[in-house]
Amino acid sequence: MKQMIVLLAGLLLAHAGFAQDVFMCRNTGLSFFSATPVEDIDATSDKGTSAINLKTGELYFKVAVNTFKFKKQLMEEHFNENYLESDKYPYAVFKGKLVSPPDLHKDGTYEVAVDGVLSMHGVDKNYREKATITVKDGKPTANAKFNVKLADHHIKIPTLVIKNIAEVVEVTVKATYTAAS
Amino acid sequence: MKHIYLLLLGCCLVLNTFAQESLEALMEKEEVKTHEPVIATYKSTRIIQGHSPETLKKRELDFRVAHHFGDLGGEFGGPKTFFGMDNSADIRIAFEYGITDRLMVGIGRTKGSGNLTQLYEGLAKYRLLQQTTDDHIPLTVSLFGNAVVSGMTSSETESDASYFGRFSDRMSYTGQVIIARKFSRSLSLTLLPTLVHRNRVGYMDQNDIFALGAGGRLKFTKRLGLLVEYYYPFRSQESKDYFKAQGRELYNPLAVGLELETGGHVFHITFGNSTAILENQFIPETRSSWLQGQFRWGFNISRRFSL
Repeated sequence: MKQMIVLLAGLLLAHAGFAQDVFMCRNTGLSFFSATPVEDIDATSDKGTSAINLKTGELYFKVAVNTFKFKKQLMEEHFNENYLESDKYPYAVFKGKLVSPPDLHKDGTYEVAVDGVLSMHGVDKNYREKATITVKDGKPTANAKFNVKLADHHIKIPTLVIKNIAEVVEVTVKATYTAAS
Repeated sequence: MKHIYLLLLGCCLVLNTFAQESLEALMEKEEVKTHEPVIATYKSTRIIQGHSPETLKKRELDFRVAHHFGDLGGEFGGPKTFFGMDNSADIRIAFEYGITDRLMVGIGRTKGSGNLTQLYEGLAKYRLLQQTTDDHIPLTVSLFGNAVVSGMTSSETESDASYFGRFSDRMSYTGQVIIARKFSRSLSLTLLPTLVHRNRVGYMDQNDIFALGAGGRLKFTKRLGLLVEYYYPFRSQESKDYFKAQGRELYNPLAVGLELETGGHVFHITFGNSTAILENQFIPETRSSWLQGQFRWGFNISRRFSL
């Protein structure tokens, strides 16, 4: 019987350890930037959420589109109303997986490749992008920079303002994770 | 012993479920629901001539030009005035500015089309409530007020509305509650209880006129919409009858317009029976009728700058 208990306790601990693989970030920083001859557009949000599973290498990002802040308020309104249509498609979501994930339980900086699907403006598109994951004191931080082509997500720019908005915008994400409780 | 065994098994199962839960489901549980504001009930701070519930955002400057041409048809319209285009009924040029995301102020110069001309306007609008997407707040409510002073030369005739015995005779005011709801992406409706007070009016006219306005927008595409605006002034029957007998019948202002947004600019192309642009005049003093071809086209141009 004693052996049985030890076995079960061991199982329990193993599971507890497994749960510690999941890390979350409630204030994921996202920003995007587009440079054109007319004007630079950049917007940031720190209201993204993200989760990572160190064991399986699964990654998850989600941000409410209307949390992006612009320097020009009118741009923000146009972004939400005309381009991203945030009342219809309120979130941008990325679900992905690290390609051949390293052992992220060890401290260090890892260049990884991420495979996944970005759902934005009602359109799903596959992405394979590079990211950097830094683990310090067992806590991971993820950084990535990648390009999104607006046409891929059916975001239409009217010809009248086409000079003001780049066709490709550079997206930056940064998440500092803490262990999921 | 069996109990402990079951208990432990139970614990294992619980933990197991937790670990196997997808990251997505995990984050869903974490999500804090907020009351998101409904944006862009209207594209501009005006529906047509009257105000919409929208205010300028903080540090935004709106340069506005509004123009009403002459009668399109009827006695004064037609080909001889190129359907009113050769005449201008009223012109307004204004700068408006957002002090906070909820409070805007403005100054404007309007030619004026009514008893008084050469009008200088100071205005303020405050957004009291903002409709939220989850209907936590079902309506947007804004308060608007202006004060208008006429710079025209006083009439010599003491019974005229434009005879100014004192400086205060040049003043008029509008107070308005703007109650709006965006029903869908394409439909916004608004009610506008309004009080116009004019310090000096002509014989049998009223200093205070309460009016109920209604307006709406129906969007055809992302950038093109149809606008409608109507005001019903509650003027006393006596006063109405008097003006009718004088041959200066009063009508209720009705305007329709097209809204075209091009990113930074909002153009309104409008048709309405009122000659005046300011509430202080078009609500109590609209004397032309759609049915007699006395409607005019006009435009509003708004250019917003972020300072």
